Amino acid sequence: MDEVKAPAIEEAIDYTGAKLGMWLFILSELLLFGGMFILYAVHRYKSPGDFHHASTELDVFLGTLNTIILLTSSLSVAVSITAIQKGERRLSIVLLMVTMALGLLFLVNKGFEWTTKIGHGIYPNSPTLLARSKGEILFFGLYYVMTGLHGLHVLVGVCVLCVMLILIAKGKLTQMHFTPLENAGLYWHLVDIIWIFLYPLFYLIT
Amino acid sequence: MTSTEAAESVRPKISFYEDRRGILSWILTLDHKRIGLLYLIFVIGFFFSGVVLGFFMRLEMVAPGGRIMGPQTYNSLFTLHGIIMIFLVVIPAIPTIFGNFFLPIQIGARDVAFPRINLLSWWLYISGATIVFISVFTGGGPPDTGWTFYAPYSLRTTVNVPLAVFGVFILGMSSILTGINLVTTTHRLRAPGMTWKRLPLFVWGIYSTSWVQILATPVIGITMVLIFLDRFFGVGVFDPTKGGDPILYQHMFWIYSHPATYIMILPAMGIVSDVVPVFARKKIFGYTAIAVSGMAIAAVGSLVWGHHMFVSGQSDFADILFSLLTFLVAIPSAIKVFNWVATLHKGSIVIEPPLLFCLSFIFLFSIGGLTGLIQGALAPNVHLHDTYWIPAHFHYIIFGGMGFGLFAAFHYWFPKMFGRMYDRGRAVRAWVIMLIGFNIFYFSMLLLGWEGMPRRYYDYLPQFKTLHITATFGSWILIAGLIIMFANLFHGLFKGQKAEDNPWNGVTLEWQIPSPPPTENFEKIPAIQHGPHDFKELEKNG
Amino acid sequence: MENGEERIHLLKYRTYVFVWFGLVCLTMLTYTVAVGIHPGGWAVLVALAIAGTKSSLVLTYFMHLKSEKPLIFKVIIPLVLAVFLVFILLTFSDVVFRGVVE
Repeated sequence: MDEVKAPAIEEAIDYTGAKLGMWLFILSELLLFGGMFILYAVHRYKSPGDFHHASTELDVFLGTLNTIILLTSSLSVAVSITAIQKGERRLSIVLLMVTMALGLLFLVNKGFEWTTKIGHGIYPNSPTLLARSKGEILFFGLYYVMTGLHGLHVLVGVCVLCVMLILIAKGKLTQMHFTPLENAGLYWHLVDIIWIFLYPLFYLIT
Repeated sequence: MTSTEAAESVRPKISFYEDRRGILSWILTLDHKRIGLLYLIFVIGFFFSGVVLGFFMRLEMVAPGGRIMGPQTYNSLFTLHGIIMIFLVVIPAIPTIFGNFFLPIQIGARDVAFPRINLLSWWLYISGATIVFISVFTGGGPPDTGWTFYAPYSLRTTVNVPLAVFGVFILGMSSILTGINLVTTTHRLRAPGMTWKRLPLFVWGIYSTSWVQILATPVIGITMVLIFLDRFFGVGVFDPTKGGDPILYQHMFWIYSHPATYIMILPAMGIVSDVVPVFARKKIFGYTAIAVSGMAIAAVGSLVWGHHMFVSGQSDFADILFSLLTFLVAIPSAIKVFNWVATLHKGSIVIEPPLLFCLSFIFLFSIGGLTGLIQGALAPNVHLHDTYWIPAHFHYIIFGGMGFGLFAAFHYWFPKMFGRMYDRGRAVRAWVIMLIGFNIFYFSMLLLGWEGMPRRYYDYLPQFKTLHITATFGSWILIAGLIIMFANLFHGLFKGQKAEDNPWNGVTLEWQIPSPPPTENFEKIPAIQHGPHDFKELEKNG
Repeated sequence: MENGEERIHLLKYRTYVFVWFGLVCLTMLTYTVAVGIHPGGWAVLVALAIAGTKSSLVLTYFMHLKSEKPLIFKVIIPLVLAVFLVFILLTFSDVVFRGVVE
């Protein structure tokens, strides 16, 4: 089955309109992070050596692993949506759980990274950090703010997916009415895309 | 007649006020018209508080030296005046009051695309405003940085900057959601036959504005977050002691705040484009040019922010680039002014308060625009930056432009929203007083700036005294006019004569439904056959 | 606008897995290029190009832009990119030409 009918208008839900609204929200989020990418670009331009040096202190393995984790979670949520569109409710629920688990795993890894760094005395305004060069201070400042804000979005995404999961389980989201899930998926992919850029810009500076 | 038919014929006669009663039915409403009125009440309230702050600022400045307050208080006054007027009044006002109330009706819809998000927008607005007001009384006192919160001072000053910037962040979220709602509504909920080229120009104005709200506001959102994080965690991106760059703060701030000025003016221009044809009894000259120029202003206007930073220390190359782009953005604005004047030419002019406010808009906005060009040129800017010239310029544009456009909207749509008419003679007299006071006040400020009087200064040299007295005097006349205008409108609200459905003989859809409208707006969604400015059709049918 | 007759084109599960595999390969590629090859000055551009490609895959397939109505949905992403590019380029017109080296 390659095509299904779009959800009907029983509750006057405009399927395209709901998606349009979500996409516009995604645009605003892209510019929210975009602002920080501008700051990153300027400071990296000004202190390329410092950025490179500071970047070597990040755990590339964990960063790469986290990238794979998020990419896989995007896969699972995308298939979850197609599953419910095909009426395969159970598969959809399982895949949502997988997505949430991967999201939480991402956050756990991030937690390890942060606590390790903080343990070494590297955090905004720490004496250790302030003793370093200006470029390095800014690298870590941007690292914490950008990955922190991103992590917050991952957390919110996990909560939203949890709500979707409950709605599917209760039968409120179905093959005929799945727009909220699709929009939640869009949000999750946004979070993935932001990380796709954060990863090389922080972990792979050569 | 069956009971259903009886119910059908009774239903349209109930206005949206009578549909449900009680305070909860208002603050938890999903009706775009009620949400528009909720915004109206608070925008006017915040406007009054901003005016009071301005009144005391002018009172202090009437003579050199300390008069009624110390310098710290003065700094806080102009900061709060700016924050309140910009974030709580001028940016939200027209989109949230009239965009919410009339855009759905003008496109032939029953409501906006996302009514619950609309309600959320209002609650975010109220929350953001509350947070800003709390910052006045807590944590070291009200901010004293100017509404621009420039780093590094905003990172160091001991007053309650964190709470104030957090409030601004919340207000930004409200603005973004409103933008998303109105763009989606315009795309998805137009009535059959309502093509893009048949939309009222007010809708085009709100549409262009909404795009700017969606794309530019996030940048100030993140900037405010960074100020907050820097104060609590010492992140350092704008802090020179940590290698940060304060000029970068100005870039981030103005990337939003310049386009924000277009969020302020585009809706007002949309109102003028709707109102002028009605009172010239003539189709708008150059409909396409006005619609497209609005989008052009939104686009090009996003490229000029560096003109706030000519003397900040940014590169000469950036100075030149931004100055050139600034001159370019004057072109679509001038196109609009030309088209409005061309519409009036050989029209059958009907002198009514809405038209008068539009005419003064055109006059005052033009002065504001022309002074903008003068300060947009690099060499004059070196002398004029941070003098009284700058606030004089932007009060001409924002108050003379957007403000008078807002008042035009009040006087135009009042009968439709409230089903009553105000005293038109008194409205005209208020307008005359306001226009006189406004020009005495702000023209004096242009002269003060030209002579070198610095802005945001608590004290000044004796040579500036006369013009300061004149400005303060002008401010009192202006305020008197404002009081008369609002008193007249309030009086009309309660004691005004009942208004007909179409007292101005307008041709846009809101005039084809009852005053005030029923909750569902239309009994039946209309099928549109022509554009909104077909006055010949109207005259033909008597 | 009535949308009762809208049809949604569903991708096969297989397609999603292929896209995922492509994304993982690109991730390996960007890691190898950065750590193994040391492209020096080109590093940022290569990294951004790969990240851009990965994002396009996510947008086109996972986010279904491929099967969306062209007019609004396909304009949206280039629009945001253009806006962001303009912001960053104009900011750099200042930063690059500042004249004072720190």
